[in-house]
Amino acid sequence: MLFSKECRRILTSLTFIIYCFVVGLFFVSQYFEECNGVPYVPDEKISEDHDVIMHGAVDDLATEFFANNYVCYPYGFYKSVRLKEDDSKKVEECLLEVTGLTHDELMDIRDSGEKYYIERGVQETMYYEIGEMPVSDTITYERFCELMGKVDDILGGGSNYKVDDIVFRYSYVPMTDEEIEGVISDLYDKDGVAGGYARLFSDYMGIVLGIMPVFVTAALVSADRRKRVSDLIYTRKISSFKLVFSRYTALVVMMFIPVIFCMIAASIQLIKNFDFSDLALYRMFTLPTFWLLPQIMIVTAVAMIVTEVFSSGIAILLQFAWWFHSNMSNGERLSGSIGKFDLICRHNTIYGRDEFLLSRNDFIFNRVFFFIAAIVITALTAYIFELKRGGRFNGFRLFGKDSIFRHKA
Amino acid sequence: MEKKIEIKNVSKFYGRKQALFDIDLTIEQGMFGLLGRNGAGKTTLMKTLAALHKKKSGEITVCGVPIEKAREIRAMTGYLPQDFSMYPSMKTDEALDYLGALSGIPKADRKKKVTSLLRKVNLIEHRHKKVKELSGGMKRRLGIAQALIHDPTVLIVDEPTAGLDPEERIRFRNLLCEVAEERIVILSTHIVGDIEATCENIAIMDEGRILWKGTVEQLIDNARGHIFTSNVEKRFIPQIKKEYIVTGMLSQNDYTTVRIVSDSEPDLPNTVLTEPDIEGAYMYCLHSSGCDVKGGEE
Repeated sequence: MLFSKECRRILTSLTFIIYCFVVGLFFVSQYFEECNGVPYVPDEKISEDHDVIMHGAVDDLATEFFANNYVCYPYGFYKSVRLKEDDSKKVEECLLEVTGLTHDELMDIRDSGEKYYIERGVQETMYYEIGEMPVSDTITYERFCELMGKVDDILGGGSNYKVDDIVFRYSYVPMTDEEIEGVISDLYDKDGVAGGYARLFSDYMGIVLGIMPVFVTAALVSADRRKRVSDLIYTRKISSFKLVFSRYTALVVMMFIPVIFCMIAASIQLIKNFDFSDLALYRMFTLPTFWLLPQIMIVTAVAMIVTEVFSSGIAILLQFAWWFHSNMSNGERLSGSIGKFDLICRHNTIYGRDEFLLSRNDFIFNRVFFFIAAIVITALTAYIFELKRGGRFNGFRLFGKDSIFRHKA
Repeated sequence: MEKKIEIKNVSKFYGRKQALFDIDLTIEQGMFGLLGRNGAGKTTLMKTLAALHKKKSGEITVCGVPIEKAREIRAMTGYLPQDFSMYPSMKTDEALDYLGALSGIPKADRKKKVTSLLRKVNLIEHRHKKVKELSGGMKRRLGIAQALIHDPTVLIVDEPTAGLDPEERIRFRNLLCEVAEERIVILSTHIVGDIEATCENIAIMDEGRILWKGTVEQLIDNARGHIFTSNVEKRFIPQIKKEYIVTGMLSQNDYTTVRIVSDSEPDLPNTVLTEPDIEGAYMYCLHSSGCDVKGGEE
């Protein structure tokens, strides 16, 4: 059976061994270590109270405005932003509207604050110790979000005032004892413990599985060209559809096997740390399969088609860009919000079942979408493969002697 | 089903560059040689026949099947590419088995086929060696084995002996003759000796065109009266090479016997008309077709 032969080829490839090592290492260092021993107890929760969010954000904005030094993380990288007068004026206008203060009142607050200095790298910035800033009685939460969005735009994005993140950054409030008890009992009663851990497991493994499959796939798919075997393969009787799908299935299955081993290790850890009777252990297998398998499928499918059309290098670059964008676009939200088209779904806690269920429909849509998209893309890859083997398409080479950018006399 | 390949007015372009010009050929059962210089278009024609390249115009039928029916063509064609290569870390028998699986051979038959083919190409003792551990000649024999694994009606072999030592070359040619008994074998080469030893029917290609087609005897007959030998002093050799097509030289003391292809008797001392060999006949064919074949270096 061709499938088993392809599995064997993958098994003996160096990139697959590296893949297994990285996946295993990531599992141990991120999930296994964190989940060793008794579970941590949460002490904060996200508040729905708009006042809490607005006060937190305005305090930070005023502090950064007075110092004219804004901390931003566009695409995850630290950037200290200092605004020119015009832009600073625009931020001030937003701040005045949110606080309901006049320019003079705002300056009074600044001047009454005690100065202190913070060193960031080689720069030393002067800050003002200010008390709690007022929030205008007349401003609505919607208008507040609008203004924060405007400030974020002025700062070039990635600031503390990015609208999508603002609720997660400024809304944490301490939990009461009853609330803590409720969250813990949800873990035991509703999640059967394993459900909560399965979400955390999937969260961590989703990060590594958003990038690593591209290496194994690109190496396998480009091997025909690199080892100059393409013509031998192309002249065989096998249909392109059967060949491409055999290779695709073998890749997905082989790359999922280390994940299954990690699931088994995570289950054994749960058995060690909890009463077996408290555990709905099957959840450690069902949820991560539904969560992670479509992710491996889509990354593999995209890597296959890009490698066929362009090259393995382009496939890796493209996947890295997608992975990076997906990671960074989550921003502060490591739980509680899963987009319909997020490659990497995050829920970085064993708790928060209800919060997770709020995004349940989007999550299901997301995974089913990627599952179907992966199959469609693979079918398209088979079509491209058929064109290539019949000499009707040779792919686009961006670099090297066949580069499409190379001048041809 | 008639074992015959018919090629009618086939043209092929790479972008705007024409690689094949109105090729007309009929290839019947047995060994057929396609001879030509490097860059003559042999590989392009071979790949077109193997359904790897798309022709621009014309018609090709392989045993009655139009070349456009790629799946059927693939089922009946075995192909050994010019630069045969296989996944280097696969074992020899594994590689054959893998390619057999791609050819749709059931597992039970595959095992027997792999063993019998490895025996046929004399690689049975090396079956557990990795492909990267095989010598050039062994690899080429593995190449033939893989091309035969699905028992094709047509075998297309592109420059199979390039780079082989004389012993391996002879062994390989004999192997090709053996397999040609029941099928069409198209051998493309720029090595005239390969054709002489194996093929009855041949075609000569140059710059994408068929210059000549017929039997080896006819090619030799064509050159009769145009091959000469002269016994000349060594110092005249550079000048002779500039003026004539020299196909062989044998030095003895201060004199060299040169073999010359010429339309008329060369104006050289001790010149005699000689019985043509295939090399001379090939050179005469190229020359009479207007190709520049003089080796005029000093």
